[in-house]
Parts: sequence; structure tokens; C-alpha cells
Amino acid sequence: MQVFGPNELVDDVLKRDFCIGCGACVNLCPYFRSYYGKTAMLFPCTLSQGQCFAYCPKVEVDLDALSSGLLGSAYDGSPLGGVQEVLASRAGEKTGPGPFQAGGTVSALVSFALQTGRIDAAVLTDREGLIPVPRLVTEASEVATYATSKFTAAPTLAALNQGRRDGHTRMGVVGTPCQVTAVAQMRLNPLDKKDFQDGVGLVVGLFCTWAVDTRRLAALLSERVDPRGIRKMDMPPPPSELMVIDTGRGKVEIPLDEIRPLVPQGCQICPDMTSEWADVSVGVMEGTPEWNTLIVRTEKGRELVEEARQEGVLVTEAMPETNLGRLRTASLNKKKRALVRAREKGVLNTSDDGSRSALRVRDEVLKRILG
Amino acid sequence: MSHLVDGEPGSRHLMMGNEAIARGALEAGVSVAAGYPGTPSSEIIETLAKAAEARGLYVEWSTNEKVALEVAAAASFAGLRGLAVMKQNGVNVASDFLLHLAGSGTRGGMVLIPCDDPGALSSINEGESRHFARLVEVPLLEPGDFQEAKDMVKWAFELSEELQSLVMLRSVTRLSHASGDVTFGALPEGQPQAAFHCDGFVLDANEGAVMSAPVDYKHGQQHDKLKKAEALFETCPFNTYTGPEKPEVLVITSSACNLYSREAIKLLDVEGRVGLLKLGTTWPIPPRLVEKHLGLTDKVLIVEEVVCFLEDQVKILTAELGAQVGVKTFFGKRDGSLPMVGEMNPDHVAAALAKILGVQAESVPEEYAGRAQEAGFVGAPGRELTFCPGCPHRASFWSIHNALELDNRKGFVCGDIGCYTMGVLPAGFSTLKTVHAMGSGTGVASGFGKLGPFGLDQPVLSVCGDSTFFHSAIPALINAVHHKSDITMVLLDNSGTGMTGFQPHPGLPRDALGEDAPAIDPAEVCRAMGARVEIADPFDIETTQQVLLDLLQDRKGVKVLVLRQICALSPEKKGKKLYEMTLDQEVCVGENCGCNRLCTRIFRCPGLVWDHEKQAARLDEVICTGCGVCASICPSGAIQRREVA
Repeated sequence: MQVFGPNELVDDVLKRDFCIGCGACVNLCPYFRSYYGKTAMLFPCTLSQGQCFAYCPKVEVDLDALSSGLLGSAYDGSPLGGVQEVLASRAGEKTGPGPFQAGGTVSALVSFALQTGRIDAAVLTDREGLIPVPRLVTEASEVATYATSKFTAAPTLAALNQGRRDGHTRMGVVGTPCQVTAVAQMRLNPLDKKDFQDGVGLVVGLFCTWAVDTRRLAALLSERVDPRGIRKMDMPPPPSELMVIDTGRGKVEIPLDEIRPLVPQGCQICPDMTSEWADVSVGVMEGTPEWNTLIVRTEKGRELVEEARQEGVLVTEAMPETNLGRLRTASLNKKKRALVRAREKGVLNTSDDGSRSALRVRDEVLKRILG
Repeated sequence: MSHLVDGEPGSRHLMMGNEAIARGALEAGVSVAAGYPGTPSSEIIETLAKAAEARGLYVEWSTNEKVALEVAAAASFAGLRGLAVMKQNGVNVASDFLLHLAGSGTRGGMVLIPCDDPGALSSINEGESRHFARLVEVPLLEPGDFQEAKDMVKWAFELSEELQSLVMLRSVTRLSHASGDVTFGALPEGQPQAAFHCDGFVLDANEGAVMSAPVDYKHGQQHDKLKKAEALFETCPFNTYTGPEKPEVLVITSSACNLYSREAIKLLDVEGRVGLLKLGTTWPIPPRLVEKHLGLTDKVLIVEEVVCFLEDQVKILTAELGAQVGVKTFFGKRDGSLPMVGEMNPDHVAAALAKILGVQAESVPEEYAGRAQEAGFVGAPGRELTFCPGCPHRASFWSIHNALELDNRKGFVCGDIGCYTMGVLPAGFSTLKTVHAMGSGTGVASGFGKLGPFGLDQPVLSVCGDSTFFHSAIPALINAVHHKSDITMVLLDNSGTGMTGFQPHPGLPRDALGEDAPAIDPAEVCRAMGARVEIADPFDIETTQQVLLDLLQDRKGVKVLVLRQICALSPEKKGKKLYEMTLDQEVCVGENCGCNRLCTRIFRCPGLVWDHEKQAARLDEVICTGCGVCASICPSGAIQRREVA
């Protein structure tokens, strides 16, 4: 992957309106900042290469380079990415109660990793009203406080960058596919820095179909909901076609037809539903709201899950084949939509030409995905 | 300074033009002087304020120029001599009252001294005040050197009383701010007494009501006064001719252009070929005097600055006198002999004269000019306009800029006149997007704030200095509040009229004479209007940005943020550091990713210097004022601050 600088980042991401505000460029330098769900560049920077560009998941992401660097093999476009095992899971008895979105698997694994010293801090996402806010957490007991889905694009990785500046060396990051992609790029030391430390000890990926733009959601909801009162947001599985907001004074239902137009451009070209570059990925389990889908991807992920299960922190079961099939289909469909959209927009690079796109994937893999 | 009051009649002193003008006013026995600070006029009121106690004057810095003219006029109505002083665009502010004052007539001597700034050396316009004399029909005088600057002021008061009319006396930067020898006259004895007689017959100029109506009658009177002035000007000693009896070219000029013309004639060594008619009375011009000199030659060069004024008058007169003086060839601005814009100088005049006379004009040898240009291009460092080290405006604009970028809705700032005008430049991170007259930032913002229904969804801000707030932003802000305009006004309160030299204003607890005065708090004024008002210290970047972001989210009506921090150059603050600053060059990230010289490339306080050798920033301890702001912006912690006990 060729690394450019902040000017190219502005051209390729901010001006193309692909920025999803993941926070990968925030807190690296004084120039990029996140405010109210949007990333802004405060002043021009003249460098020809920068961490901002190197980490951004919306500059030209070279899927082959990522796959080779992390998994040791070229990107093959399989629906769920690299998989060791797919399980059904939920928090075990030893995990305290929480306001979990589903089975509490993420909170269980992250607090367990903190307790056992696998990670020295957790990079999580909080919400102030409707605004997602990054949090760096060092107490296992705090982890569950930030559970539940946010649905809005969040600058979570700003906390990772801050944590690295503060001297944390093995942070656990909980992130959406775009954030996990940024972390993956970061871990490959794209600027070939000497004594490089990525500061990451564990990556827990979340499933994500799309997120919505914070400001536009706030504008939509401003007439119907007091953002300070929001307790939980949910999108029940099909065929509900609703976003349900629990305000503490009853539930407000917003038709998804009103929500979909708020999905940022950057989400529409994202080919990853299951956070393929994580150690483990977690999502809901269709038809079973008390359970999660858990994809174990790496050796590190497998060891964590295994130990958590032995300690009673996590409960797992085999994943029914029908669920697995549906997951694959949904994931593949997201890939197809994204690649078609990217090709329509002229930001899909299937050759080695010099133009800067948003995604680079080999032609044969593209054909395989699109069938 | 003491010679200003104590100088013996007949003694000679080297004086700045503005001091000479002040001395002239003292010799005239002025009782009341009022003005609003503005370069190049400010020293006149400052000098008179210093003499106030010894000479029994009342001197004030008024809220704005219109009020200054009104205050001075009241003295005239009460039989005293009154003086109003302002810079060129101040006359625009005062012009409404000016028109009425010209119509109503005056009693005690009443003189308005505008100081124009051709070439805009200290302005953002090169506006003209001369044309107001013609527009409102009052006599205009223009001193042509430093002695005249003093003498003509005294005469202006006498003329005003003789005509019972306001008299304008116009100076320019090169007269006001340059210095020359001045021989003093005597100061008058005794304290004049004030009384306003207003119970007489309504049309009685000395006992009746003072007003410009009935208009036919008063306007007619005004014309009689101008006729009388014209007659007096025919023999006025401030209109002089120097040169041969039969010159090839007649130069007609006035004001500082008199000095440039004299120098140009000497430079070309053409004293025997060029005649110089210097007019001290430029409106109305004395027709017989000009006619006499027009008769000397057929070639006339008119030398003046900015908009044609003398050239128009002389051409009109020549047309009227066609039968007597014949056809003339005119040179000046309209034929391109002299530039239409910018300041005049001896080189311009010499070039014009050389062309007319067919001689060589080379003020600077070509070879020298070439070498100088080369040396300047290679050797002179780029020195752009910028804020002083420790200037609160730099910190304020930093926060405003950052808040607008973070807010990310293409918000913009409307500004006006003050040091903060430099907010339009990189010094203020190019934050200002409109710059016009005093107080106009808020007026223009008030208008932008009503364009929502037309699709304008960008946040609208204005900035305004503390003196400007009182001068002319208050009506604009009231307009915005009353019309529910959605704007945020940032009041850059640096506790004084900073740009012109810390003259007091109504927000401060002292007046021009140094006496205690009730201070009016702008924040309270804004609250009383119904605006949401927040106050912050611009040196506290974090809080200032937070408050601004919060105000930008508040979409309803007028918000005011008062950023209060005293000017780094103010006498109270100068030399006093808030913090001892240190910069660790080992920690500095320099040009690398993670900083890329934020402090020396973007923030650019002159107290921070890029050390090419060490590839790190360096503190210039000599000029650092210890404001501490750079420690807040340094991303690596290389810059540290320690509070000065």
C-alpha cells in the first residue's frame, strides 16, 4: 500500500465525502480533530507521508496487502474472512449484569482480558446524548457501562491514539469493521518506523451493516426525542424495518426508510460486515436475542475465548448451520453491494495503476465475489 | 511636551504636524476639543489632553466621531471655541450631523480637523474628507507645511467666527506625522465664559434656536457665507505663488503636495521654468487669484492626492473664464500624468513635470535601482503583517478558527476595523471573511443571520473590538437582537483602543484627561439587550473553544462571547509575564509527522522561531511576553509554562 500525506487524505476521503469519522487520524497530531460525529482538519499540513493517510480505512485500502500482512495469504473474498470457528455465545455467570445489546459477549471478553492482564486498557465507545464518544477504560468493572450498540459512526480510535501517546502498550480495541480495518493497517507499520509499537493487544470486531451520520440522525430525531434521555437504541431483525429508541419514557419507533438516507457514503462502499481483520468478531444471533454470534479468527482470539469459557465468563454453543448460511449470505451481499457501488463511483482499483481509489482488490477476486 | 504650553512667543520648536495643530488650537484659545482615535489624527487630542489642565480646556475621547462633532459644536453654540478631530472615515460617521451643522451655522469658532491617509498607510481605505466641504458647503483650509499647520488652525477659528460657519481644516499623514520647525505665537489670556442664548427670534443667528431650518433661508445664508469666504480667500496669506513671472508650467497644489512639488522642482533644477501656486484655501477656491495665475502660462499641472478635487475646481473656473484666460492644457490625474490612487511623492511630480518640460527625470540612478531590487529580493526576509507576541487576538482567532473548523458547517466571521482586521491574513488564520467600516462586522452579520430562509445554513459570526462596540456596533447588535438574527458576536475586549495607542473608551474607568469615569460593561449592555452572553479568557484556548462550540450549537438568536484579555502592549501589561516559558528542543517533534511545525508554521507568534540547525522550534526570550498560549497548542509538551509568582 502506497502511503501519502494529509493533502491526499483530504482529497480522497474528506472531499469525496467518504469519511465515516472512525477517529483513526485523530490525536496523532494537532491537525485532525473529531467533533460531534465529524472529523475536521483544522489547518493544512504539508507532509508527503503521514500516519493519518496510512491508517485511514477510506483511502485506497489494499485488501491483498492487509490479508498478506495479517494472515499470510492473499485476499480471497470469502464472505466471512479468515475464520477458525463460528460459535453462538453469551456472557457467563461470572460476568456481571449489564445493559447488553444481546448476549454480552463483548463485555465478557473485554473485561476478562483486562482482569487477566491480556490488555492494559480497553478502547470503547460511549454515548453522550446522540454523540458517540471514545473512552479509554482501565477498570474491568467499567467495561459494561459502555455496552450497547451506538449505530452512529464513532471516533473510537481517537482513544487508541491517545492511549498510545499515554504509554499503553497492549490495548483492547472494540470496533466496527472500518475501525478494525484502520487498526489492521496501523499494525502493519505502514511507515516503516523503527521501534514501532502498535499498542494493540486485542481486537474485538463488531458486526455492522451500516451506521448513520450522527448529525443527520440528531437532526431527524430532534423533533421526536430528547437525546439526553436515550437509554438504548436497537434495530430488531427483519422484518421489523424499524429503529427503536428507548427513552426511558417509552419507546420511539422510527421507520428504517427514514434512517437509511442518513447512512454516510463511506459505509456504502464498505465490503466488510463482520470485522474480518479482528481477533474475534461479535454480532447478534438472528432469532435468538439473548445470544451472540462469535467468530474466532486468530490464535490469540481462540486462546481468549477458550480461557473465558473455562473461567465461566463466557458460554458457547455450536452455531446452527442455517444461521451460518444466512450470515454468509448477508455478509456476501454487503460485499457485492459495496464493490458495485465503489465501481460505479470510480473508486475501485483492480489493477496496479497509480490512481488513488478507495478499495483495491484483484480482478479475479472481484469476479468471484460478484459471481 | 512642556514647551507646548510654556514655549515663548517667537521661539522655534521642532514639532510633529499634529502637535503644531494642537499648539495652533491653544493659540486660538480653544475651550473644548473632542475626537475619536484614528491614525493619523490621534496625537492632536492626546496633545491637547496633556495641555488641558494648564490651559483650562475640556478634552474628551468621544464614543464616536459624530458625537465628537456634536460635543465640540455645543461649545460653539455656547460661544466658546470648539474643535473636533478625526481621521478621514470618521467624517463619514460624523457626516449626518456635519450637514446639519453646516446648515445651522455656528457661534463661537468651530473647526473640524480631519486627517486623511492617502495611500492608506494606517487605514483600509484612502477615503477623502475634502469633498465633504464642497458637499455640505463649508470653507476648507489645507496647510502646506508645519508652520502653516499651526497658524492656519488659529486663523480657521477666526474665519469661523467671522462667517458664523463651521470651517474644515484638512491634514494628511505626511503633515500630521512628519515634523518640522514651528515658530510659536502667543497664547491668549483669560478663561472664556459659556452661555447659550436661545430665547431670541427664531431666525436670529446669535439668540435664536440653532437649526438648519427654515431650509431656504438658512441655505441661502450659507451661500452668502461662502461668497464672503471666497472674497476673504482672494487675499489670504496662505495662498502663495513662487516662481518666475512667465513660467512655462504653472503647478497648482495644496497640502503635503506643496512639499512634494517644491522638492520635485528643485530636483529637476527647473525653478526658472515652473511657477508654483500653493493654495491654503481649497474650497471655495479664490477665483480672481487663480485667474491671475492662469494668465501666466498655457500649461497647468495640478498636483493633489487621491480623488480629483482641485483639478475639478480649476477646470470649472477655467471654463467660466474662457474668454479672459483662453484655452489651457491641463495635466494632472485625469490625463494620466499623475496616478489616480495612492500617495503622491516627489518622484511622481518630477516625472510629470519632466514629461511636460521635456527634461530627464531620474530620481534614482537606474543601476542603483536595479541593485537595490536585487538585494531586496534575495536578502530581505518576508515580513508579513502579524499580531504582536502575546497578542490576545492571535489566541482569539486561533479558537474561533478551530471552533468553526470543528463545527464543520462552513461558518465564517464578519469583521471591521482594529488590529483584529488582520484576522483576514494568515496572522489570524484567515478567519475574517468580510471587513468594512467600524461596527460593520456585526451589521453585516445581522443581515447574514436572516438569510436562513434563502438557504444560507452556515454559522454567522462577527468580531468587534471593545472601543468599536461603543463606537458603532451597539445599533447593529440591537438590530440583530430585535430581528432575531441568528449570529454570534465575539467581542475582542483588550481593554482599550489598542491600535491607536490605548486611548480610553466608555468601557474604562478613566477618561481622556486621566480622571475617574464610570465604566460601562459591554457584557451587561449585551445582556440588557436580551442576548445570551458568555465571558472567557482567550488565553484559555480549551475553554474558549468549548464555549464557542456550545454557542454555535445554540441556533436561537444573538449570542455574545466576550473574550477579555488586556492588549500585550498596553502600559499596564507591557513587560509583565503571566508565565515563564521553556522549550525543550529534544522533545520538539519539529517537522515530523505528529506536529509539522504547528507553532512556527501555523500559530506563528513572533516569539517562536524555527531553528534550522536543530530542526526544532526555539523561544525568542527577548520578545516572548509569557502569555502561555503556545504551551496549550504544542502537541508534544515541548513547550512548558510556569506561572510567574
